[in-house]
Amino acid sequence: MLKYLIRRLILMIPVVIGMTVIVFLILHLAPGDPVDLIVGPNVTPEVYENIRRRLGLDQPLIIQYLKFMKSVIKGDLGVSILQERPVIELILERLPVTLQIGFAGFLITFVIAIPTGILAAVNRNTIIDYSCMTGAMLGISLPTFWFGLLLMYFFAYKMRLFPISGYGSLKHLVLPAFALGLTNAAITARMVRSSMLEVLRQDYIRTARSKGLAERVVIYQHALKNAMIPIITLMGLRLGWIIGGSVMLEIVFSIPGLGRLIVESILSRDYPVVQGSMIVLTSSIILANILADILYAVVDPRIRYN
Amino acid sequence: MLEKRFVKILAVLMILSFVSVAVLGGCSKAPETSQPSQGEEKQEKKEKVLVIGYDRDAEILDTIKTAWYSDALIYIHDRLVSRDYDFKYKPGLAKSWDVSEDGLTWTFHLREGVKFHDGSPFTAKDVKWTIDTIKDPNTGSPYRNDLKAIKEVIVKDDHTIVMKLNYPFPNLLFNLSNTASGIHPANAYEKYGDDYGKKIVIGTGPFKFKEWVKGDRIVLEKNEEYNWGPEWMSNRGPALIDKIVLRTIPDENTRIMELETGGIHILRNVPVAHLERLEKNPDIQVYRGPATKLGYLAYATDKKPFTDVRVRRAINHAVNREEIINYVFRGVGEVAYGYLPPALKDEYLEESKDLAYNYNPEKAKQLLAEAGYPDGLKLTLSADNSSRSQKLAEVLQSQLKEVGIETEIQLYDSASYKAMLKEGKQELFIRQYSWPNADILDWFLLSSQMPYPNHSRWNDPKTDELIKKAASMPTWEERAEAYKEVQKYLIEQAVWCPIYIPEQIIAVRKEVKNFKYHPWMLQYNDGFDMMVE
Repeated sequence: MLKYLIRRLILMIPVVIGMTVIVFLILHLAPGDPVDLIVGPNVTPEVYENIRRRLGLDQPLIIQYLKFMKSVIKGDLGVSILQERPVIELILERLPVTLQIGFAGFLITFVIAIPTGILAAVNRNTIIDYSCMTGAMLGISLPTFWFGLLLMYFFAYKMRLFPISGYGSLKHLVLPAFALGLTNAAITARMVRSSMLEVLRQDYIRTARSKGLAERVVIYQHALKNAMIPIITLMGLRLGWIIGGSVMLEIVFSIPGLGRLIVESILSRDYPVVQGSMIVLTSSIILANILADILYAVVDPRIRYN
Repeated sequence: MLEKRFVKILAVLMILSFVSVAVLGGCSKAPETSQPSQGEEKQEKKEKVLVIGYDRDAEILDTIKTAWYSDALIYIHDRLVSRDYDFKYKPGLAKSWDVSEDGLTWTFHLREGVKFHDGSPFTAKDVKWTIDTIKDPNTGSPYRNDLKAIKEVIVKDDHTIVMKLNYPFPNLLFNLSNTASGIHPANAYEKYGDDYGKKIVIGTGPFKFKEWVKGDRIVLEKNEEYNWGPEWMSNRGPALIDKIVLRTIPDENTRIMELETGGIHILRNVPVAHLERLEKNPDIQVYRGPATKLGYLAYATDKKPFTDVRVRRAINHAVNREEIINYVFRGVGEVAYGYLPPALKDEYLEESKDLAYNYNPEKAKQLLAEAGYPDGLKLTLSADNSSRSQKLAEVLQSQLKEVGIETEIQLYDSASYKAMLKEGKQELFIRQYSWPNADILDWFLLSSQMPYPNHSRWNDPKTDELIKKAASMPTWEERAEAYKEVQKYLIEQAVWCPIYIPEQIIAVRKEVKNFKYHPWMLQYNDGFDMMVE
């Protein structure tokens, strides 16, 4: 298992490198020039060239890329062109914010999806099942940010229970976390339901029942544990989605998170910030996937990675 | 077995590290962006905090280096010259000034007893450092070109500064009263290093920089020592408001909701779609005034068919400006007949309306035929991707179709738009400018400004001559008259197709007292006050 882990971690490196090449190319080949955006249009050619040289943008792309990778290995993700601050600083400021919402949303997903899915599976083809699944259908179809706006409108604007937007206290996290959590819960609930149904058909469940065990024990101790295996994998994979999925929510709720930073930096062609953030983002997603696989093996003793 | 256990521990550690980054990262954050009406529990005396909403945050809080000026910079710094409620140039940090006969030497007499937020006294050397740093090519200041009239800055004594000019330039007062001309303490970059403009900003203004949570808010607190406000203000001393919070709220709907619930108190640039609702809201007062902005349809005048003045005039005749104001702007705004906003009372050419091209599709078709295009034209129509520009492009598309001009609409994000215009691929395109001075015509239409910002690619010796003459007139009045000649000529040549003048709409909540509308920027230290519960 350890060997497997090490192998996965080593495989991470070519994936991240491949990603940096693609991102680098797309950024530099797209129209639009960061120097323009910092000096303003009425600049003399010599000042313009000076700044381009200072930022290293006059070198051929290969050289720029290699220089960037060299500094990454040393741990330096570069300096933001527009803000003149180290990229690492910017990322460390904004990443925790995004993660907070992501985890809060995750918790909500967990708390809502699992009981809902179990309820639906256990009461299959009854009104309970149908209403849960209809709710899930709604959740899947609603775009997260629209749902966020809806929550904002009712609970913050109309009922004044929460602040409308911004960041800083637990209350500010509630609505965006619910928007993220509920829409995610929809997909997860359906998976829980189908996974439970699959498990409940198994022979060992019949055995447990015929042994005379209480239904509750059968469901929670025997069925659920087995049903959770694919769910854990799914949730682990979705962990990586937290940052990407929260961009729209960060815009709607005015949250200073990493997703918004990436989008704004792309629009303003702040290359170093985009490159640095993408490395962090890609690595997080890969690590989350690895984590999901490890958990899978931990939870299911039948799985062996060799 | 040991392996499995180890891996389990590793998994737990990984999860914990993700979680701790989230939790610990958040813990160091400053207190909340909560609604001010909820108040701070521990304070005995309720603080007066004014919250203003913006759609974007600053990149760097340094008037010298930034290309986009956050409002925060207006209150942190003072400028040599101030603008009063009639947009007249009045004393600021300079209590008076004299200009030599030949217009080439300006002597500014500086106020005494003024201190920077770091305690150092304000003297002439601070003015010299600020201007020299802006003009230094190594700084890369976007404002450098605006001060090109200044040849040299000389410190005569602590409270007298002399500026020698390259040519007579009465518009110097405009430039010295701009946000970009905020005065910094001398050698600020050396003293404060890399933190300047990020964690530290020093000025002499009525508000001090307190805190900046990037992407969320900028907090300013009142300068208790301030007592050198310009004479035209009713309150020349410290502000009545204790703090100003500039909040970044990128989504338009969120901004409006925050305004309606008291999360923000003032919103400038209210979108037209929400105007009616806000006007009906008893908690909100809406102020409307003509903006110093102008929206226009332009074309690449160095390419066929736009090289022919008849085609340019035809396009002007084809556009139904009233329809655009009613449909795209819901009636909020005015038709633009000329090249400057009428709010620039001194410089605006009054006869613009009479000289302009009226809506006349028949005349348009006739002119096109005369120019050799009886069967019409096929052109691209470029615009930025804002919803306003999109609507405007669609209406223009249908209006131009009526006279036989088929257009294909192309939308760009702002950086790509700029890049495209620099390359010169445009045919028809939509732009809007926001600038309170006639020198905007220099900016867009001098041949030396090609290819950008002269995106009309207008290369005309007569225009260059007229503009340069106007820009270097010795007095303000002569300058204004000369710019009127420029406008007349531009209308006659149909260089652009001016379309609309938007309105400036400011929404203010009832908690704000003594609101005073100012044509340039709200002067919060001039008596603005807040209701506290």
